[in-house]
Amino acid sequence: MVKIGIMGLTGCSGCQCEILNCEDAIYKLLGRVEFSYFPLAQDNNSFEEFDVLFVEGSVTTDLDEEKVKKGREISKILVAVGSCACYGGVQSQRNDEVSLEEMIKGVYGTTELPVKISKPRAVSEVVKVDYELPGCPLDKRQFVYAVAFLLNGVKPFFPKIPVCHECKLSETECLTLKGIPCQGPISFSGCGAPCTSQGVGCQGCRGDCDFPNYNEMVSILERNGLKREDAFKFIKVFRGKQAQDRISKLFRGDLDEKGA
Amino acid sequence: MKRELNINHLTRVEGHGAVNIVIENDKLREIKLRFTEGPRFFEYITRERLYNEIPKIVSRICGICYVSHRLSSIAAIEDAFDVKVTEEIDLLRKLLIVGEYLESHALHLYFLALPDYMGYPSALAMAKDYPNVVKRGFHIKEVGNRIMKLIGGKTVHGENILAGGFKSVPTKEQLQKIQDELYKVIPEIKATVSLFDSFHYPQYNEKPPFSLCINSEKFSILGNELILSDGTLFTKKEYEIFIEEKTSSYSTAKYSTIKGKPFLIGPLARVNHYVDTLRSETKEVLRNLKTKFPSENILHSNLARAVEMLELALEGVEICQKLIEAYPFEGEVEVKPKAGTGYGIKEAPRGLLFHKYTFDENGRCTSANIITPTAQLQAIIEENLGTLVERSKDAENEDLKKKAEMLIRAYDP
Repeated sequence: MVKIGIMGLTGCSGCQCEILNCEDAIYKLLGRVEFSYFPLAQDNNSFEEFDVLFVEGSVTTDLDEEKVKKGREISKILVAVGSCACYGGVQSQRNDEVSLEEMIKGVYGTTELPVKISKPRAVSEVVKVDYELPGCPLDKRQFVYAVAFLLNGVKPFFPKIPVCHECKLSETECLTLKGIPCQGPISFSGCGAPCTSQGVGCQGCRGDCDFPNYNEMVSILERNGLKREDAFKFIKVFRGKQAQDRISKLFRGDLDEKGA
Repeated sequence: MKRELNINHLTRVEGHGAVNIVIENDKLREIKLRFTEGPRFFEYITRERLYNEIPKIVSRICGICYVSHRLSSIAAIEDAFDVKVTEEIDLLRKLLIVGEYLESHALHLYFLALPDYMGYPSALAMAKDYPNVVKRGFHIKEVGNRIMKLIGGKTVHGENILAGGFKSVPTKEQLQKIQDELYKVIPEIKATVSLFDSFHYPQYNEKPPFSLCINSEKFSILGNELILSDGTLFTKKEYEIFIEEKTSSYSTAKYSTIKGKPFLIGPLARVNHYVDTLRSETKEVLRNLKTKFPSENILHSNLARAVEMLELALEGVEICQKLIEAYPFEGEVEVKPKAGTGYGIKEAPRGLLFHKYTFDENGRCTSANIITPTAQLQAIIEENLGTLVERSKDAENEDLKKKAEMLIRAYDP
């Protein structure tokens, strides 16, 4: 039996719910794998050794850090699932704007908290990650593919082509051309473009595709009605450090002007 | 003699929780329910964001009840900008809620709670002996998921749920199909009600719980007014006045009371309040149960969840009919930002949820306050744990642990 662990750090449990939503696949998997750690779903958990450990959520508390470091030590393969684990997630979107103290004080009115807190980080900022399955939540088909690949000794590989590619495949009318703010051109596909097919612009929840052109993306968003600063914020929602680094490098002049 | 009981990682609950209980000379000395979930600063990361970014950001508070966070924030935004939506948009939102409740309640009942009552460590372990029961849970959940995917665009964190309505709406055929599926799942929900009625529920709470829910003429998940079980009425704008929130020294969830007392929210509070106004088909099912509502027993929250699924599935069939008759309809109204503050409340599957935002004239958020069910429930769960310990002092540690976990799970925190 292959030992699988599913661990949650700081997040919304949405990815673990999507994993539970893989109903038929889970049934079929039960013959070959053993969920030896899945506290959201079961009591009998052992945290001893894993062939594959899936990690959801960002590293935000000292407990998170301890858990993920231990998890890394005892796992052959570690997979970060969801945008919190892969990039830091929504909770990291203002890491470059305000201090941790300001955020804690703003929410709790005090900095005296029962747990030690750091700025939300991606799992890869703390331990080595073998594979990433981003998305908010992760795409459940990709989860099933990744498990199936790993069970058969194949490296899971999902090409980082932009969401625009999937709109073409599903014959979805281009929202950027219709004037709707859409992050499709710079976002990692694999979701099947469910948002754009409903007329909602891509929100970039799966992070960057390969070679994203932020310069052009920002000017398109400006043409489609967003102020430059709002375009930055729109792009930053899910991408964490990835976008913060690119934006601060490419648009340093703009940010200085604003005093940010 | 001092005895300590620690549950370091509560399983089969959505958040990260732990319990410490200290008993000394047969007297309860200390109870601490700790939520150790890392903070995510939602009231801070929404600042300076445009109003149309808010529902997307706050829906990430909870992967199971994301529809609740989206709809409460949307209610607050529409309140701030004086947006009135059409009846069809309102119906679509209510249908979305039907999907959310079927998904969330079925997940809770079959996967988190049921293993306790059937004597298994998990639903997956239970599947070997009771495949049909587990499959039924999967099926009800799946119907809920399909509704959320159809209207919201994705099963979890659908992005089509926006201030002003929806960018696209289901086709008539899709609505018919959903109506059909809801209709077919009703017997399975009735079987769920009867299954959860068949268990023995010991009572771990002392008095009738002091409770709070949305007030309306009949069973309602959305609204503007609240009612306490002592009859006190107040509006959503007065929520922050009635609820006293304290930061806890041992939990990242805040500690809330009303009139100095812990209070109950969620399925049992709702079913107790609305029992006389439920649909006649639901009432008929209730008449044949050994459990009677209103009930004072907290563990009946599980049965109340099953009852809510039935009431909402029946409502869902009616909503689909109305929407099919109204076809074709517009899914969206215009939203014009202006400066101001808006309030939104909604009954999330596990209890009341409150969102409040202030916007500047461009529709940028300048401040936010969100009060989640888990934060409101911390106080009453601790109170119940105290009663449980008082009543089961002779119980072995393992047994006491199990009871404590069952009790906490009944709240689905």
